[in-house]
Amino acid sequence: MRRALAILDYALGATRRRGGRNLAIALGLAFVVGLVSAVLLLTGALEREFALSVDATPDLVVQRVIAGRPALIEVDSVERLRGLPAVRSVRARVWGYLFVPSLEANVTIVGASPGELGDTLTDSIVEGRRPRPGAERECIAGDALARHLGLRPGDGIALPVHGEIRVLDAVGLFHAESALHSADVLVVSEAMARDLLSVPEGQATDLAIRLTTPDEAGVVANHAEIAFGQVRVLDKRLLARTYELTFGGRSGLSAIMLLPALAAFLLLAWERLTGLGGVERREIGVLKAIGWSTSDVLLARVMESGLVALGGALFGLLAGYLYVFHLGAPGLRAALLGWSTLYPELVLVPNADLGQAAALLGAVVVPFIAVSLVPAWRAAVVDPDEAMRGTT
Amino acid sequence: MSGDDERTESPESTDEVLGVSEVFKRYRDGDATVEAVAGVTLSLPRASLNVLVGPSGAGKTTLLGMLGGLVLPTSGDARIDGVSVVHLRDHHRTALRRTKVGFAFQDLALIQGMTLLENVLLPLTPRGGARKEDVTRAEALLERFGLLDKRDRRVERLSGGERQRGAIARTLVLEPPILLLDEPTAHLDSENAAAIVDALVELRDDGKTVVAATHDARLAEDGRVDRSLTMRDGRLC
Repeated sequence: MRRALAILDYALGATRRRGGRNLAIALGLAFVVGLVSAVLLLTGALEREFALSVDATPDLVVQRVIAGRPALIEVDSVERLRGLPAVRSVRARVWGYLFVPSLEANVTIVGASPGELGDTLTDSIVEGRRPRPGAERECIAGDALARHLGLRPGDGIALPVHGEIRVLDAVGLFHAESALHSADVLVVSEAMARDLLSVPEGQATDLAIRLTTPDEAGVVANHAEIAFGQVRVLDKRLLARTYELTFGGRSGLSAIMLLPALAAFLLLAWERLTGLGGVERREIGVLKAIGWSTSDVLLARVMESGLVALGGALFGLLAGYLYVFHLGAPGLRAALLGWSTLYPELVLVPNADLGQAAALLGAVVVPFIAVSLVPAWRAAVVDPDEAMRGTT
Repeated sequence: MSGDDERTESPESTDEVLGVSEVFKRYRDGDATVEAVAGVTLSLPRASLNVLVGPSGAGKTTLLGMLGGLVLPTSGDARIDGVSVVHLRDHHRTALRRTKVGFAFQDLALIQGMTLLENVLLPLTPRGGARKEDVTRAEALLERFGLLDKRDRRVERLSGGERQRGAIARTLVLEPPILLLDEPTAHLDSENAAAIVDALVELRDDGKTVVAATHDARLAEDGRVDRSLTMRDGRLC
């Protein structure tokens, strides 16, 4: 152990002495690792967001479909589902998107009944207060949206409706575990939602069904389709699977596209490590002349490569993390999300998977050390007399 | 007691600490074969100061390397303290060298980018690094060669003579009984060269076997040298 530590100390010094070359290799490695880790971290963060989003989604959502597009559904339809076995609750929801030109983005307007405003959201209010029942102009905003707009409780929000401007009072901010649920959401009274979204009384955007036994989702969905005719029933479990496939596929594709870059880099590293300069050759000659064995020299060379690889890979991981969670992954985010430009802002929650980071480090550092082994061995077995030749 | 007459002492001499028998060393140089050492037999006793003299290209450094087991002969035998190194595995030969032989080669001197003290302690790394007493011993060696005040200086900032003395100090840190030195007085002015010769004599008097390859007449012709062996074209003459 003392020997290994002493040789590690020497390898650290050697890494510093050959700083220019080692820095170039480490930066190249950091770039490749940074790209791969950015894809993985972004995918992980998005998967987490959508998992949380799906968790908050009703077991089934029934939408009426006309000409293949979602249409408003009768509120009375609730009663036809309420009595079904396995159905815990059915609610007619009023919600929709409102394009706000000043934001150049859609805001999601969610209508809530007085009971919901009073109970469901109370625990998640992080600043200000909940709207008072009957106060139709009061609303609460998602904290991510408020952060993006610089909105504070007490501020007014101007929304364009039918060529007019409706000014709402933001009385509080709420937080949702998933940033997707607070990034663009304004919760208003149901009456205000109908006004803003032009949803007439007696109609709703969709029906949200919660089940006592989620395994019965298929049965209930079939029943709804038979009962209402032209409807689309969204199953929470299918939704989750769709997200998983979408982001898994996109990130897998991105990662595969980066593999040639990693392979090219390893080839480059091989080239650099194979070329043994005169100074290094001389250094090895000195070491062997003063009593270092081939295995001592080999260990020192491998440690030097390992330090460069580990340093570069760790730096790449850190850079990937900062790129995704502090800079918001410009460029890559659009490629993975696709529709992200519609969002005012989606602040990704840092979600580092240590196991994944360790696997990525292993996947990069181990091949790098393996690639460096042959040049290291060739350097270590240099006969001292070769190094001495020309000095006779 | 200098002279060439003792260069072919019997290899079986019980006092022999270094020896070679009919050693040849040939290198490939493109299509040509260069014979650096050609049929040298030599036996050197314990506690002696020996000098190999000759022009550049005579084969002095290669013979020095063979005497210390650093260079394997193309043919012939080389012995360190009675052990033939020719058929030893690399790690056994390294272990033998580490315990018995200290090298200071002119062109394989100190490692740049490291301090003088780090260089002197470098032979200790495979043993687990320097302990406190090792550092004390290294500092004593640097003081002996007038380099203690330069201990933390990077070697590229030392003069040629200081580097040469530092390399000799490094050979002594493992306290080997045999010292092999290539041009130990090169780069040194008269005063420093004389100091080195005095140090080599002291080391011999301490019981060490010293072999130095040199062009320097100041060392070759010093009256305290036990043997002065002349090489030319790979042969002793």
